[in-house]
Amino acid sequence: MLTRIKGGHAIDPANDREGVADIWIRDGRIIEAPGDGRADETYDAAGKIVMAGAIDIHSHIAGSNVNTARLLLPELHRGMTVRRAQTPLSNAEWGTFQTGCLYAAMGFTTVVEPAVAPSDALHAHLELADIPIIDKATLSVLGNDDCLLDLMRAGASASHIRDYVAWTLATSRALGIKVINAGGAAAFKANVREFSLDDVVPNYGVSSRAIVKTLQRAVHELGVPHPLHVHCNNLGMAGSAETALATIAAAEGLPLHLAHLQFYGYGKDGERGFSSDAARLAEAVNDTKSVTVDVGQVMFGQTVTISSDVLRQFNARNQASPKKWVIFDGDGNGGGIVPYNYRSSDFYNAVQWCVGLELFLLIEDPSRVFFTTDHPNGAPFTTYPEIFALLMNRDLRAQWMATLPPAAVAMTTLASITREYSLKEIATMTRAAPARLLGLRDRGHLGAGAVADIAVYSNDADRAKMFRAASLVFKDGELVVRDGAVTQYRWGRALTVAPGHDRSIERRMQEYYSDRYGLPANIMAVPATAIGRPEPFEAVPCAR
Amino acid sequence: MSHAWIDGRPVALHVATAEAARLLAASRVPVVAGLGTDIAGARAAIALAERIGASIDHMNSEFLLREVEVMRAAGIMVTTPNEARLRADVLLMVGAGLVEAWPELPERLLVRPPVGQVDAAAKRLILWLCPGGDPAKLAGGAKVQVFGRNRRDLPVLLAALRARLAGRPLGKTPLAAKAIDALAAELRAARFGVAVWSAAALDALTIEMLCGMVADLNATTRFSGLALAAADNAPGVLQACGWMTGFPMRTSFGRGFPEHDTWRFDAARLVESGEADCAVWISAYRAAAPAWTRQVPMIALTGQDVRFRQKPRVQISVGRPGTDHDAVEHDAATGTLVPVVAKNPSKAVSVAAALAEIASALPSSGAWPC
Repeated sequence: MLTRIKGGHAIDPANDREGVADIWIRDGRIIEAPGDGRADETYDAAGKIVMAGAIDIHSHIAGSNVNTARLLLPELHRGMTVRRAQTPLSNAEWGTFQTGCLYAAMGFTTVVEPAVAPSDALHAHLELADIPIIDKATLSVLGNDDCLLDLMRAGASASHIRDYVAWTLATSRALGIKVINAGGAAAFKANVREFSLDDVVPNYGVSSRAIVKTLQRAVHELGVPHPLHVHCNNLGMAGSAETALATIAAAEGLPLHLAHLQFYGYGKDGERGFSSDAARLAEAVNDTKSVTVDVGQVMFGQTVTISSDVLRQFNARNQASPKKWVIFDGDGNGGGIVPYNYRSSDFYNAVQWCVGLELFLLIEDPSRVFFTTDHPNGAPFTTYPEIFALLMNRDLRAQWMATLPPAAVAMTTLASITREYSLKEIATMTRAAPARLLGLRDRGHLGAGAVADIAVYSNDADRAKMFRAASLVFKDGELVVRDGAVTQYRWGRALTVAPGHDRSIERRMQEYYSDRYGLPANIMAVPATAIGRPEPFEAVPCAR
Repeated sequence: MSHAWIDGRPVALHVATAEAARLLAASRVPVVAGLGTDIAGARAAIALAERIGASIDHMNSEFLLREVEVMRAAGIMVTTPNEARLRADVLLMVGAGLVEAWPELPERLLVRPPVGQVDAAAKRLILWLCPGGDPAKLAGGAKVQVFGRNRRDLPVLLAALRARLAGRPLGKTPLAAKAIDALAAELRAARFGVAVWSAAALDALTIEMLCGMVADLNATTRFSGLALAAADNAPGVLQACGWMTGFPMRTSFGRGFPEHDTWRFDAARLVESGEADCAVWISAYRAAAPAWTRQVPMIALTGQDVRFRQKPRVQISVGRPGTDHDAVEHDAATGTLVPVVAKNPSKAVSVAAALAEIASALPSSGAWPC
């Protein structure tokens, strides 16, 4: 079967190509234009924009914490409310099935669930398997787990820790490793209420910085393409920019990814002691080439915060709206679910909204700043089209700013920023760069050999409208969306890495599980046969 | 030996599933009930319910939804059995039915000092409120301090305890104020305390009082909760319901999208009231029959030897998850979904496979899948 997408304006920054071109597809892959030029089916894309399918590197779409949020908030679902238009999460319709459909409609074809506890990996993968159309991946969370902290306390060798990390990646079927408030959740279990980069976890005697550096080194030395994904300490606090700057400095020349930087973009200036420090953070990112960040943009409206930063969520519990919350002291991190309503009339929320946009616009290289709302923590992923529009149009930003408390806008530099993203920069940020960051060589571009994940958009001046409903979306070469509506359902795969480990770690892990828990270590396994879909996983190669 | 019957007569499996599909397609208000099955069975059941516009319910919903009700009304703080094992210095056992709900509980949490306890200096103190039996025997010989003998005293005892923790005065209580103060002092002194309960033995208000007390204790120290799991994979089915529909069980697809109502979509109520006109009953873990008494055309997917009050129109004998076939189910020891390898693999059909065959025999429709 030969498919041709004819005459669209292709934007393919990964291959440094932009212009009118035909895209040819055979057997789910993009191919060079064949000699005879006869296609079995042809889609006319004249006047339209053609990009690779978008890749979301950080969106909480599956796992027990996400599911707890669903069960905590029945009032946010369609079946429980008549005020659908005012409740974004009910528009998101929030089940696994709708998650896949809504992402696909926007032209997204790969999404990473960034916070899976290894003990919850099977659950997370079962949920991901019920998300149709798109491909998925997980990041496994280490850094508050008894096993790693115990190894560090005992002065285990770097190779032993590498093997543990590699074993975790393989056992939990993850694409990378994330650390969330390194040591903070373990410290909270010992009744610590504030925890910074150089604080030490009680009982274990290791600092947060040591945990980050240990994991960064292990991930790097294993050749895992995605660098350690760091959720810093002190999220959301006034003055948290200092923590983010210290963490950026701690990268020390090795790759490091900082998640949802917006939530650390705060200084302590002004009457309320809360201001934007985004310009300083952006400058540090611009100067530190080994660091990548994603934004975690805030948008106004009802949402729910879902985080494995259990200490932060506990401290935020009294801001819950509606007034109920779940705090879960899990194995390792656990999680906290705190519903929250971002209001445009609220000084702090307005500063947060500006900080996110400042970071997007002040970080110069669109291949080192990634497009996220930390769904659903800053906003549901269904708000992405509005954010694309804001990045691409300074007049639109000015209109929004005019509706915010002037005192809040004055605490930021947003009003002075004239930059507007081009479509090429959007394609870099959402296609080329995330594929490179995750090591997905055959995604995020339109060159021959790429997986035929392709989004075709009408070139509408209303960019939100354009990105909300793709004109055509192909997944693995199959047409799945037409005019923003799903036309064909299929099951995607979960992308994994397995860098390999010394076999001795398997015996050591058996001993650890047996000693500590009286359980077999394979109780945490994710067998492919348990997922209930054909070929649920796809291996991504490591660098060594 | 037969594995499928129509009106008690043995038939081939495909004949039974075709008849089941015919009954469901003709039904106006079907219910899918019991749901004693593994995750694959639950996913298949929910997908089938979506397809035919049925409501879904689990045989242990009543206990499980007490827990869910407290969470979504007031919030909750919880931990895992393994964290309790490694970290708890105070275990507050609440009420009766704990060992019945989790027979390994004494072995896993009470009897032996844990290897690798996080805080090496911590001692484990076991306090048991209204145990409803011989505490030493229940705790497998571990040393236990008991407060309250009569299980009816538990709600007042908890309320009194929470009041004293908040520094409020007490009225008349089942225990002397001094004993309650001593207990409160033990809880306050905990470094990582864990309250353990079974929703089968407590009402929702008692659970809410307990969870409120746990949250209060965290103003100054660390305390968390451990709710013991309901049987027949109810917590696992709850998770699958949550991710597929956004809601717990007692959810209906009758109007074309998931709607949740714990009263309206109680399967027993739907059958007894005559609203339901066809029922699918699933019980793969044990030979359980539905408790309803009203006659309703029924498609039963169960183990052998179930004693039904009324004969099912279609009966299919299914394998036991984790025994006859590999399965994924909720595990009491980890509090998560785990893979289980078949202990005694057989050719018995799984719930998921039987439901898939029924679904494939339905007249085709545009809806796909949940």
